[in-house]
Amino acid sequence: MLSVLRVRLLEALTAVAPLVGVACVLQIVLVRAPAVIFLKFLAGSVLAVVGMLLLFTGIDLGILPMGRFIGAELPKKGSLLLIIAVAFALGLATTVAEPDVLVLARQVETISNGAINQRALTYLIAVGVGLFAALALLRVIWGVEMTYTLAVSYSVMVLLSFFSVDTVPLAYDAGSVTTGVLTASVLLALCRGLSSVLAERSALSDGFGLLGLASIGPIIVILILGLIW
Amino acid sequence: MTDTPFLTELRDTALSVVLAVLPLTTLFLAFQLLFLRLPWREVSRVLTGTLVASAGLFLFLLGVSIGFLPFGWAIGAALGSLTGKWLLLPFGLVLGFVTTWGEPSVRILAHQVEEASTGSIRYRFVLYAVCVGVATAGGVGLLRIGYGIPLLWLLVPGYLLVLCIIWLSKESFVSIAIDAGGVATGPVANTFLLTLAFGVSSAMGDQQPLIHGLGLVSLIALAPILSVMVLGVLVRRKER
Repeated sequence: MLSVLRVRLLEALTAVAPLVGVACVLQIVLVRAPAVIFLKFLAGSVLAVVGMLLLFTGIDLGILPMGRFIGAELPKKGSLLLIIAVAFALGLATTVAEPDVLVLARQVETISNGAINQRALTYLIAVGVGLFAALALLRVIWGVEMTYTLAVSYSVMVLLSFFSVDTVPLAYDAGSVTTGVLTASVLLALCRGLSSVLAERSALSDGFGLLGLASIGPIIVILILGLIW
Repeated sequence: MTDTPFLTELRDTALSVVLAVLPLTTLFLAFQLLFLRLPWREVSRVLTGTLVASAGLFLFLLGVSIGFLPFGWAIGAALGSLTGKWLLLPFGLVLGFVTTWGEPSVRILAHQVEEASTGSIRYRFVLYAVCVGVATAGGVGLLRIGYGIPLLWLLVPGYLLVLCIIWLSKESFVSIAIDAGGVATGPVANTFLLTLAFGVSSAMGDQQPLIHGLGLVSLIALAPILSVMVLGVLVRRKER
């Protein structure tokens, strides 16, 4: 256990060190922010390292096995509806809880002077993620190639962008804020678990891709909305 | 960016961590009761791990929000008031790289890829590819703010390029690539780079700092997709 922790600590330190280093150089050479702000940054970095250490350990022990257990159990039930329901629910629930989504939604409500409701936007984004998470699992089960799935989704997305120009920044941002640390590890593990029990599935091309597809969902949903308005 | 009191910050962070863990844990417990019926020792190990991960996420998010937000803004404001706009490119490159280097979810993806490929796609390989991608996005994204280029002009050609490259890239890299786009926009990028971009655009006297700042995040989601797919093209060529 101790040696595992030491490796994790080293990883967390090497992860944050360059960012802190560059920030220090910039502070001295260029920024010269007030000492309080800089000290806060250093304190925050220490917290981030400790947090990352615990996070990595906990994800290995808890989150990843959980996702894998559920993913591996799902197809055994032989019910397509159950798989769709679980993928949709997980995608929806984790997105609603994602702090970044709330931040974006709040900011959008402020800029639009309340025309775009914060709660409505959050749920729209979440529904988009849920739909595409379900679609991504269906793709693995039906054995549709990733290349084709992606080609179709991206073509639809790019095409819609031309017709709904005003909503483009909002839509693409909504797509990128959806996947935080926990959502990422949950969805990654779920997909790998699912592909591991299905016959003749590649651990790589079928075990990944759920996360990426899930973030296309909100983009398409918001672009369509912009089209209707 | 208003300065929220420390206690509210603590409560909000704790709440968002609980909300993030709850759905999966509930689902897992439901599965355990209905279908899985794992031995109790296994269940308690998994739950302990989840608790440790939650504590870690809490500390991490707290550290990022109290430390990275104000300083990111200060860096951005200093960069925005530089005389040479082209200087935004090198600074964006460096900051993009080191931010992604510190992003936990990128590392989780890289570990998963190494494990799933039984070591044939190395951890470092994925990590570097994603970092280089985001570095490019950081440089181009800050330049875009400096020169006021519309986002559509960058996003549409970018995704069209992705549409072309997927046919050339090794298939296993396609799935990994789009996941890489998802993980690159984690908590560090969303706080540090986002506020940095706000800082740059407001220092330039921009009327819509929010819109220009946010565009940077969508570029960060696009660039690693491209860089990992290009890696897939190279690997496929080498194999032939």
